[in-house]
Amino acid sequence: MLSRVVLSAAATAAPSLKNAAFLGPGVLQATRTFHTGQPHLVPVPPLPEYGGKVRYGLIPEEFFQFLYPKTGPYVLGTGLILYALSKEIYVISAETFTALSVLGVMVYGIKKYGPFVADFADKLNEQKLAQLEEAKQASIQHIQNAIDTEKSQQALVQKRHYLFDVQRNNIAMALEVTYRERLYRVYKEVKNRLDYHISVQNMMRRKEQEHMINWVEKHVVQSISTQQEKETIAKCIADLKLLAKKAQAQPVM
Amino acid sequence: MNENLFASFIAPTILGLPAAVLTILFPPLLIPTSKYLINNRLITTQQWLIKLTSKQMMTMHNTKGRTWSLMLVSLIIFIATTNLLGLLPHSFTPTTQLSMNLAMAIPLWAGTVIMGFRSKIKNALAHFLPQGTPTPLIPMLVIIETISLLIQPMALAVRLTANITAGHLLMHLIGSATLAMSTINLPSTLIIFTILILLTILEIAVALIQAYVFTLLVSLYLHDNT
Repeated sequence: MLSRVVLSAAATAAPSLKNAAFLGPGVLQATRTFHTGQPHLVPVPPLPEYGGKVRYGLIPEEFFQFLYPKTGPYVLGTGLILYALSKEIYVISAETFTALSVLGVMVYGIKKYGPFVADFADKLNEQKLAQLEEAKQASIQHIQNAIDTEKSQQALVQKRHYLFDVQRNNIAMALEVTYRERLYRVYKEVKNRLDYHISVQNMMRRKEQEHMINWVEKHVVQSISTQQEKETIAKCIADLKLLAKKAQAQPVM
Repeated sequence: MNENLFASFIAPTILGLPAAVLTILFPPLLIPTSKYLINNRLITTQQWLIKLTSKQMMTMHNTKGRTWSLMLVSLIIFIATTNLLGLLPHSFTPTTQLSMNLAMAIPLWAGTVIMGFRSKIKNALAHFLPQGTPTPLIPMLVIIETISLLIQPMALAVRLTANITAGHLLMHLIGSATLAMSTINLPSTLIIFTILILLTILEIAVALIQAYVFTLLVSLYLHDNT
């Protein structure tokens, strides 16, 4: 806390130190360095692909190369073995036979199953790598798919105006249709009303005609006196007799 | 001959200092660790083997039993490598010493028993009487079960010691027999063949690890779960 007081005092004294006030509690740990620079394990130093070459499973190739200018390594080996045996530095005992059998079984096992185990180990490693590769490829594929869908969406957006045009056309057509419908309805209604008036007129005229005809007939009938009626009837009868005589004469031929 | 026969079982000393400690500490050097994902063939096969055995062993335990997995897996690896290294000529096998096997068996067995008694005392005591025994036999059976429980660590240790020691002795004897027979040629080839067969059977000393860890495992399981 005292450090904070000191720091605030220092801040008022020198404005450039004001930023340091925020580091108050951290000042104590300023002497410790965290995460400065790369940790030593990164980048990981690569492993060699194959181990050193070895002859007879035990003796490295460099040994032979080292000896070749000076002496033959096989002669050296044979000489050493014979020396050890003859001077009884190495004693042939019961252990010799056990050693022979153990080493014999080991060599037999390694020669027979060595490549199989090696392939198995390689297969295990390859499986691990394949898994990681699969994960990476799946991730890449996923992102690629996302990119493709995004691009197709963008292309669709470019063609959106077609949709709007079609919609606009549709709406215009619908408006046109309703307008025409209404126009037709108006026409029909007006015609209806005019037809009504016309039919009323017709009816009135017909009624007047009938009435006139009836009136005229009535008066004509009224005006025919009885004497005229008798005269006309007698004339008709005379005409009919004449006609009958004329008619009778014909069928004799 | 007698002196020579058991000479390989004397704990080795270098100028009075015990080299048996070095012999015991040597096998872990053969099992490298690696911070890489893709390793060389040795590490890959070893990791695969360890994964296989640990999975096989620990599936039948519950959560509490699986806290012992590191202990049991390291136990089986230690005994396996030590036994296999003892097959090499002129080598010393620490598991031939009863002292070491007792030092391994007693603490582990006692650990499981105490764990069982601490958590479920009724279950642990119930082991002393199998189910469905006729009533007059109960006292005798309890005594027999107690004895069989108390003899478990001794059995574990002595089993391992006896098997390995017997195998080594046998190999030594038959080797000396071939040595003697090598002056008379005809039967020597036959006996060398028997050595070979004996050796391959002895490489089932690795099966002893299975026996060791399995018995330990079974007792742990029983104490924990039932």
